[in-house]
Amino acid sequence: MDSLGNTLANLLTIAWLLPLFGFVVQILFALKWWGRKSKTGAYLAIFCIGAGFVCSSTAFYKWDTQAGHLVFKEAKPAATAEVAAPESEPTAEASDEHHHKKSSGKQTVFSGTFYQLAQFGDLKISLDYYIDSLTLAMFVMVTLIATCIHIFATGYMSEELVEDYVDHQVHTHDGGHFHRPGRFYRFFSYLSLFCFAMLGLVIAGNIFQVFIFWELVGICSYLLIGFYIERHSASTAANKAFIVNRVGDFGFIIGLMILWTSFGTFNFADQHAADHSVKPGLFSMVTRDDHGEFAKTSGGKDVVLTTQQDGHGAWQAPPESSPRKTIAYTLLIVAGLGVFGGCVGKSAQFPLQTWLPDAMEGPTPVSALVHSATMVAAGVYLAGRFYPMFTPEVLLTIAYVGCITAFVAATIAIVATDIKKVLAYSTISQLGYMMLGLGVGGWAAGLFHLITHAFFKSLMFLCSGSVIAGCHHEQEMPKMGGLLRKMPITALTMLVGVIAIAGLAIPGVYLKFWWYIPYLSINSDHGYVLSFSGFHSKDAILATALGYTKLNPLHFLLFLIPLLTAGITSFYMFRLWFYTFLGKPRDQHLHDHVHESPWVMTAPLLVLAFFAAFCALGGEHGNLFQTLSHSEPSHVEHGFDGSQSHTVSLPDSHSLHVKPAEGGASTHDVAGRSALLAAFIGMVISYLIYAKRVVNPDDIKRQAASVHAFLANKWGFDDLYDVMFVKPAHVVAKFAAAIDKFVFDEILHTFVRMGIAVSKWDRKFDEGVIDGIVNLMGNSTHSLALSLRNVQTGKIRQYVTFIAVSVVTLFVLLFALYPKG
Amino acid sequence: MFSPEVLSNLIIFVPTIFAFFLIFADTKATEFMRVWTLVGTAITFALSVALLGTYTPADGGIQQVVAKEWISSWNIYYRIGYDGISLTLVVLTGFVFMVSMLASWGIEKHVKGYLILFLILETGVMGVFFALDFFLFYVFWEVMLLPMYFLIGIWGGPRREYAAIKFFLYTLFGGVLMLIAMLMYFFASASMTGNGIGSFNLLDLAKWAAQGNVFSPGLQVAGFILLFIGFAIKVPTFPFHTWLPDAHVEAPTPISMILAGVLLKLGGYGIIRVAYPLCPYGAQYASYALVAIGVVSIVYGAFAALAQTDFKRMVAYSSVSHMGYVLVGIAVWKISEVTGAAEGRDYWLMGMSGAMFQMIAHGVSSPGMFFCVGVIYDRVHHRDLNQFGGLTGLMPRYSGMAAVIFFAGLGLPGLCGFIGEVFVVLSAWNYSKTLAIVSASGVILTAGYILWALQRVYLGPEYKGPHPEAITPMTSREQAIGWALIVPCFALGVYPNFVFDYTDKPMAKLVRSLDDGYQNTPKPHSELQTTQK
Repeated sequence: MDSLGNTLANLLTIAWLLPLFGFVVQILFALKWWGRKSKTGAYLAIFCIGAGFVCSSTAFYKWDTQAGHLVFKEAKPAATAEVAAPESEPTAEASDEHHHKKSSGKQTVFSGTFYQLAQFGDLKISLDYYIDSLTLAMFVMVTLIATCIHIFATGYMSEELVEDYVDHQVHTHDGGHFHRPGRFYRFFSYLSLFCFAMLGLVIAGNIFQVFIFWELVGICSYLLIGFYIERHSASTAANKAFIVNRVGDFGFIIGLMILWTSFGTFNFADQHAADHSVKPGLFSMVTRDDHGEFAKTSGGKDVVLTTQQDGHGAWQAPPESSPRKTIAYTLLIVAGLGVFGGCVGKSAQFPLQTWLPDAMEGPTPVSALVHSATMVAAGVYLAGRFYPMFTPEVLLTIAYVGCITAFVAATIAIVATDIKKVLAYSTISQLGYMMLGLGVGGWAAGLFHLITHAFFKSLMFLCSGSVIAGCHHEQEMPKMGGLLRKMPITALTMLVGVIAIAGLAIPGVYLKFWWYIPYLSINSDHGYVLSFSGFHSKDAILATALGYTKLNPLHFLLFLIPLLTAGITSFYMFRLWFYTFLGKPRDQHLHDHVHESPWVMTAPLLVLAFFAAFCALGGEHGNLFQTLSHSEPSHVEHGFDGSQSHTVSLPDSHSLHVKPAEGGASTHDVAGRSALLAAFIGMVISYLIYAKRVVNPDDIKRQAASVHAFLANKWGFDDLYDVMFVKPAHVVAKFAAAIDKFVFDEILHTFVRMGIAVSKWDRKFDEGVIDGIVNLMGNSTHSLALSLRNVQTGKIRQYVTFIAVSVVTLFVLLFALYPKG
Repeated sequence: MFSPEVLSNLIIFVPTIFAFFLIFADTKATEFMRVWTLVGTAITFALSVALLGTYTPADGGIQQVVAKEWISSWNIYYRIGYDGISLTLVVLTGFVFMVSMLASWGIEKHVKGYLILFLILETGVMGVFFALDFFLFYVFWEVMLLPMYFLIGIWGGPRREYAAIKFFLYTLFGGVLMLIAMLMYFFASASMTGNGIGSFNLLDLAKWAAQGNVFSPGLQVAGFILLFIGFAIKVPTFPFHTWLPDAHVEAPTPISMILAGVLLKLGGYGIIRVAYPLCPYGAQYASYALVAIGVVSIVYGAFAALAQTDFKRMVAYSSVSHMGYVLVGIAVWKISEVTGAAEGRDYWLMGMSGAMFQMIAHGVSSPGMFFCVGVIYDRVHHRDLNQFGGLTGLMPRYSGMAAVIFFAGLGLPGLCGFIGEVFVVLSAWNYSKTLAIVSASGVILTAGYILWALQRVYLGPEYKGPHPEAITPMTSREQAIGWALIVPCFALGVYPNFVFDYTDKPMAKLVRSLDDGYQNTPKPHSELQTTQK
């Protein structure tokens, strides 16, 4: 086991550090060695991330063959897999058996330390690694998508390969376009740095380390959004992204402070010291009992940290007599909310969602990699990673935040006309879904959607990039139309993405063909479903949400709103596709010059389309979901009954699949069918309006002008925040500066003026009084001296007499005045 | 080559020796004198690095003490020595002076006088860091004051005289308070010395303070307030900070670098080395006020920085904000109401160490920021933030370096500013939840003012201010300075143990002895304790 852990750690560390190496070489030497017109820097970046992908995949393979046994079922020949697939019928019985197998096996985690940053007494802060199936899945996903996007970008950014690049969006003061040297190599160096930061975030073994890389992905995002530094809109968007993220990080830091002070460690995993003693990690200290309850003090207000191991190595609360670490339950909630605050910022959740649409100022490959597939998903990833620390109250907040975000963003996407903005809002909306999934207790469901979304969203962004490049940097959909013929590969791969995100499926299709693909087994609760990845993951989330609302009827909106949003999603995504690729060209001049992109750009589209379609094959019994749920925190599976502690309950993941005894469909089936229906309705409406033109969309816009304006104004969040925060901050700042100038300095100046006044008076006193006295004395001395001249007789005898008398007088005075004793 | 004792004396006096020989140089041989001075500062820096090698990190105490009787009737000794705390600052001083000397090439006015004062200033600063005798400490403190006054007052900008006098008045005022406290402790320690005269020995005074029964609580409180104000002016903390923006704005670039990089650290060092050890009771008594002042400095400085339109003034206010973390980290000393023992002492230790790291980190990043301002000011002769823009296109290498340095100031992980700030903030929760939250809010404001400034200066299509023709790429000398500042930014950010290896043990020892000192000091009456909370 240990050797496996070391192998994994080494492989992932290489995958993690290679992009850093690439970045350093590029930023320092690319220009000197290869020049502006060379693609060598990009090839280096592709090599680094590609090799990272190979390492990650190898690590995953090693893990699966030696520990997971999920995908590569002990490397059986294809024939065995073929038999295995039809065996597992989608009955409640079979799935129960399956889950049982999983719960009996303990989740495998490999952890260790890179090096220690600091130590204060018992407090240690270090850089660690924490590798479980989630880490591995994220590594494979991130490196795979990043590799595709790197390759795509060599085509997309190729116009930067010049000494003199003309930026048509920037005007100089004399009215001309702005000229600058191309920055191809710079773009790839930033991408490499980003990959390093993102992978570091995923491999991080403690929450502090997550925070470190959290900030680093933030700065990479800043650099990439502001890549066109000459554009004021770009640099403003970059600032906005970073500062809004920092607002979330403020919450993150508060969470860190609470954890650090109450738990005394940041580590996820237990720490094994050299003397074989074990220090519990964060997750071990909040172990739940069989009912999902924390160990609490007798009053029930404080949670007792489970810091003691019993004979079997399970963590439990020390007995009451011994010294115990406790944390107030409310403080645990605040800590959870704080860390989640960071996730809200990074994953652009309500109310900090405003930065993400603006971030589309960056080049499109950046939008695909950073602002849809990976970085923004880091918030969801952290919420998943940190799941054991969240109380049901925190999860409820997460669920509502996700629900609101999903809905608000989807509504704005309806009216957006910029092709990238539509995708940006759909990203926010989908991230909301993931949060919702996590919040309602669907741990694996939320992260499942994270992975599937990463594939189909990066695909769609790259498709939009292909469209934008084909249309010579036109992003407005009203000027497009009829592009299907001109760029078929882009259009069709985009369609794959649209179907995936909309969650469309054809139920009941039985395809024998799949069984012949080795190592893959497919089935699902709905029988055999022909569908793409998004269907399965959204299905899983909605099913859990429905289960949740059944347990907590008060929170029924947590199912209804996402269901409605599923319909809206389908509507606006198909709107995008119909708008762009079907119909008549609305701008003939533009249309005439459109061309399909070169193969370096379309090949990544095909790869991503493959994964967007098939990565979730088999749904919740498929490999991806099973791989993820291998790392599911142990308390999640059985749900939680909150009725005793007056909080919300969480559904048990088995019961979702169980058909009720009185007949009818299981929760999962109900949710899945509703979602499918919603998606179909959305698509049909979209088809009628934008493809068939049954009604003119402009008429609808006029009819509902106020609603349209409200949505187009993004619900007014930007204006609101400007009035609430930005302007007041500047006022306070001016005020602070003014205090310095008019209060503190004024006090000093007053003192100085007083000092000067005193010294002036002093001078007058000096000249008038003291000098007067001195002069008086001088004059009198002078006259005295004149009179004494008479004594100077020059007669020795007279002098001696004077001296003797003086000495005697002095002695007499001395003895008379000297204190006795 | 040299014994550690000789080495430390050399570090203090090599600059003076070099200054002495400058007297005989021809006034017109400016290039020679600059090189000579650079050699002097480089040798000092090399010696300070060599001194690192003689230090034993495992031993937390003061090492290699040199004590020579100086004024015997007053028990005044020439007593120097070092531990990890002073040693790291000594190396920082050597480094910053050397880099600042490289940045002094542009000074054309009265070069000889400038260089002599520059070197004497270094002696003063080094002396303060080495001094273990309170009187000697005070002497070096004042030695440092005059060269600085002239360096600002003669080589400064248009309002240089105002700024110089302001600087002088503030520092002198602080010095006087320190003098009073010094005499108070001198006379109060008379019973302990054996010859009935009293002592200036900082080590002895600290030892007696830790015993608790030598210095009365009243003396400790009064002494601490005097010492604290004296040092707080130097740090500077709100509300004693207004001399700093003026001094920075008027001072020539290299002097700003020294002021921000080294002189401000003297305040923090004084608090750690003198104020706390001598008055543990007073320090604990005032701890809430101290943390509050530190937090206010962080937030207030950041807000004030946000409002500035002068580039250099903005950087100066960022110093106020960043040095606020130092005070917070030092002061987060929570005690148990029942026993008087420190509660969560490791967190306090973390705060102290974080504060120490923040001093070093700020000592690298802040001179870097002033240097960046200086580079562009030397070219276009203005500092109006609204009249820059587009420098990235015109001076790409400079802009890249500036971005790294400003990100270090912003507290980006991987660069030096992060560790100190975040460790301090993390340690603060144990002391006070409210103050910790307020101090954490600094991350937003800091990002705000730094990114906004970067956008206005470096980004955008065109330079908008006067003298666009003067904008030329960095010279190789300027690049050398930039690299010299960037490398430690990364090194400290990635591997903070470069500092912690040296400061861990002395800090742990200090925290322990302070804890003892507070517990051992007889409390006057219970009222005092209840009022303080």
